[in-house]
Amino acid sequence: MTQPLLLHLCQTLYDSHIGTMIRESDYAFSVIESVHVLFITLLVGTISILDLRMLGLILREIPVTRIARAVLPLTWAGFVVMLASGLLLFWAEAAKNYFNPAFRVKLVLLVLVGLNPLIFHTTVYHRVAEWELEHRSPWRARVAACSSLLLWGGIIVAGRAIAYF
Amino acid sequence: MFSPHHWFEALAQSPIGHFTQTSQWAFAVIEMVHLVALAALGGSVLLLDLRLLGITLKGESAAVLSRDLGRILLVSLSLMIVSGIGLLSGEALKCYYSPAFRWKMALLAAAVVFYFTVHRRTALRASAEAGPTQRVVAIVSLLLWLGVGIAGRAIGLI
Repeated sequence: MTQPLLLHLCQTLYDSHIGTMIRESDYAFSVIESVHVLFITLLVGTISILDLRMLGLILREIPVTRIARAVLPLTWAGFVVMLASGLLLFWAEAAKNYFNPAFRVKLVLLVLVGLNPLIFHTTVYHRVAEWELEHRSPWRARVAACSSLLLWGGIIVAGRAIAYF
Repeated sequence: MFSPHHWFEALAQSPIGHFTQTSQWAFAVIEMVHLVALAALGGSVLLLDLRLLGITLKGESAAVLSRDLGRILLVSLSLMIVSGIGLLSGEALKCYYSPAFRWKMALLAAAVVFYFTVHRRTALRASAEAGPTQRVVAIVSLLLWLGVGIAGRAIGLI
């Protein structure tokens, strides 16, 4: 009764019909997990191309907005499937994940990686027309690019680590 | 002496093998490197092949994309091979007998050969409007790399 509310919610999810079904099925968890990994590859693989372009490491001759227009739909597609499959995995393991340090780190990193584009798009990306042709983007864009690369890398690492705790 | 089995056993008994088998975190950490590199490799392959298919970045030169994204591909592929050997040393004999691992190596060899021969040359001559050859090359490339990934995932499952 004195359980924290979040833990209580996690336990309810864990005990639910769907959560139990995913956990106890022979294939469901592995299949969903494989889809999760495939789409995080899509997400991170595409956004990192934009990040590396802003850092001036690749495709310098192509305007930043062109690259953004090409990769962002793919990134979003990856994000949607990754989120949906991630929620299903969480559903099956919620009560265990609650105590998992790697899972907690991953959630914090996910919040940070969400704030990053929010700040980026409302500030320096507003004036992208002024710098989209520059081989190396302004420092604030480069900071956003580095943060994105590091945070997504960290999310993959933390995500993999969940299985080891 | 020169059978693959011999080499797998030698790897398992090498200092690297000893390290990955006994250290608590080595296998996990190497696996994380392998996964991060996978994301970079997947992104570059996908964008390149979508360009060859005429779906994205049509106005840009496929040769330039192939050169720059090819760099990401090469760096991440090298990282994946090095980390992959580390992972292999942790469970060499299991892999030797795993059909998934054998499939993965066959598909990887095919994907790498295809990339260095057909794929690169096609990208150099690619036009904005994708012709049938260009499309076939892109689809074969996507399927080969996807196959490597699926077979790789399967090593841990079967």
